Amino acid sequence: MTSTAPLDTTIAVVTPENIAFEYQLAGLFRRLPAYLIDLLVRWAVIILLVVGLFMLGALIDIASLGPFAIAGMFVTYFAISWFYGTFMETYYNGRTVGKWACGIRVIDIEGRPINGRRAFIRNLLRIADMAPMASAGMLSEDISPVFIIPTGMFGILTMILTRRMQRLGDLAAGTMVIVDERSWRLPVAKVDDPRVPALASFVPADYRISRSMARTLAVYAERRHYLTPARRREVARHLAVPLIDRFEFRSDIDPDLLMYALYYKTFLADASAELPDLGALSGYSPLKRDMNRLRNEEPSTQPS
Amino acid sequence: MNVAALLEKRRDQWSELEQICDALEMRGKANHSAAANHRGAAGVARFSNLYRSACADLALADAYQLPPATVTYLHRLVARAHNQLYRSNRFDPAGWIEMIFYDAPQQIFADPCVRVASIVFFGLFALSMYLGCNEELFPGFAESMIGTETIEQMEEMYEQPLSGSLDHYVPMAGFYIMHNTGIGLRCFAFGILIVPCLFILAYNAITLGTVFGYMARPDAVGSDNFFQFVTAHGPFELTAIALSAAAGLRLGVGFFFTGGLGRIESLRQSALRAVPVMAASAVLFTLAAFTEGFLSPSPAPYIIKAAWAILSSGLISFYFVVLGFPRDAFLLRSVSDDDAGDFADAT
Repeated sequence: MTSTAPLDTTIAVVTPENIAFEYQLAGLFRRLPAYLIDLLVRWAVIILLVVGLFMLGALIDIASLGPFAIAGMFVTYFAISWFYGTFMETYYNGRTVGKWACGIRVIDIEGRPINGRRAFIRNLLRIADMAPMASAGMLSEDISPVFIIPTGMFGILTMILTRRMQRLGDLAAGTMVIVDERSWRLPVAKVDDPRVPALASFVPADYRISRSMARTLAVYAERRHYLTPARRREVARHLAVPLIDRFEFRSDIDPDLLMYALYYKTFLADASAELPDLGALSGYSPLKRDMNRLRNEEPSTQPS
Repeated sequence: MNVAALLEKRRDQWSELEQICDALEMRGKANHSAAANHRGAAGVARFSNLYRSACADLALADAYQLPPATVTYLHRLVARAHNQLYRSNRFDPAGWIEMIFYDAPQQIFADPCVRVASIVFFGLFALSMYLGCNEELFPGFAESMIGTETIEQMEEMYEQPLSGSLDHYVPMAGFYIMHNTGIGLRCFAFGILIVPCLFILAYNAITLGTVFGYMARPDAVGSDNFFQFVTAHGPFELTAIALSAAAGLRLGVGFFFTGGLGRIESLRQSALRAVPVMAASAVLFTLAAFTEGFLSPSPAPYIIKAAWAILSSGLISFYFVVLGFPRDAFLLRSVSDDDAGDFADAT
């Protein structure tokens, strides 16, 4: 992993169309509830089937169908407890009931959906990931050693140690579990403050915004709704103060407003469009050289 | 440049792609109630068009300096559509047949893990059979290995001559499928940790071997019935246990003997190679379970059971040696097998 790679849980995948897109990896705390749900579903299905078979056997004729019902029960129990995950992941595009409920999905590490063979490997090896077994009897001698609890240490350790957060089964099968968000709003921060376009019109036309600056502005604009005004000013000051000097603005300009105006100019303003109607704000100038003039003259003077 | 206007222009196509994705995710095919160009072949064509343009948008997003949230949105959208375009493929029975009758025997014949597992299993089996049988030299071996209670239970069980009815056979066959195949699968899965796999293998070998040895003593109660019972399904079942352990060991050993690959990559390759062996083992377990359920407890004469045992041993040998003998075609195939095979699977 190079040092420039982001320190987060995304993983880039290059598609056959030669497009690299990112998946967000699902960690332990998304996968554990999914596993528990699957456990519940598995047992619910087994119990339902057993009860159903018994009812059926009682209805028809227990003497002739009973043995088949019992054999069917054994085989069903075997198939469901071992191959539930394999079946679901193969036929439902990498999702089991629990994964669907938790919004995660299994895919190949190359970003392709998993096939039957890989699903088979990763689901069988789950019991190795659950090892070593601990029993309640280890804690106190009064408890019978029957209650065996899987600790899952191998799975958790390998998930922590691998870059794609894979457990042993994932490593062997070459799969990873990703977050599968079902819906995502298309977010563009709206500008409803009339001062913003006004201030943006005073930013010098020869100021070329850098790529990292644009990115920073976008992040700031999307996040500022969650901050209090005082916090916004505090965060924005670090970038705004050098810019105020450079643009020769008055030093009492609100840093938050300046950042927002730059965002507006970068992403929303149309270069060829007319200057928006400033209304009551017309005549106001943030420039330092206009400070004295504004104080002395009438505020209705148009800025040059 | 006005990003908002640009996004506005593209947004229609993106939301159209989202709609198609919704329909595909819900039913697995283009929605029948949708607009005309979302149905059938036209829908597929439209979907791939939209997907390609979304891919292009994503590639250009950086150059356009789109806001990060929009880029994230595009990543999700492309990922979602990608997952619908390249869907998971199902199991195909034709592939299973090739796996069982072609890949598995070749792999079994060539794999040193199979030899190690067989030596461990059958070696320990023979050793503990000898120790358990020889009362004078090793007094108390059988009792300390499997316990007096188990021995008494066993003697009690085999005291009566074998007889049974359908009521007994059918559930027992089901039980054996569940129980024995379960042991095999557990052995395979723990193979990735090597030690538990060897433990299960050795445990089963010693237990079974001691039971056989004990029953082979001249003074053992019910030994005739015991050998009547075990002869028929023995070859299938014992081979299946050794095979599943071998498949498991292949997994774990792949982590240490990488053959020039990275460890993880080597593990993946060995896992893919282990699956046919495990599948063959599961087939043997199932055959053993049916034999054990229907033929072994039946009052059929011993000669039939012995004939079945010889026949099944012959079948296993044919499978391992004749089908497994290395062929040039396989050697050529094996070089690019995994990559090419997987790619063909996915597309």
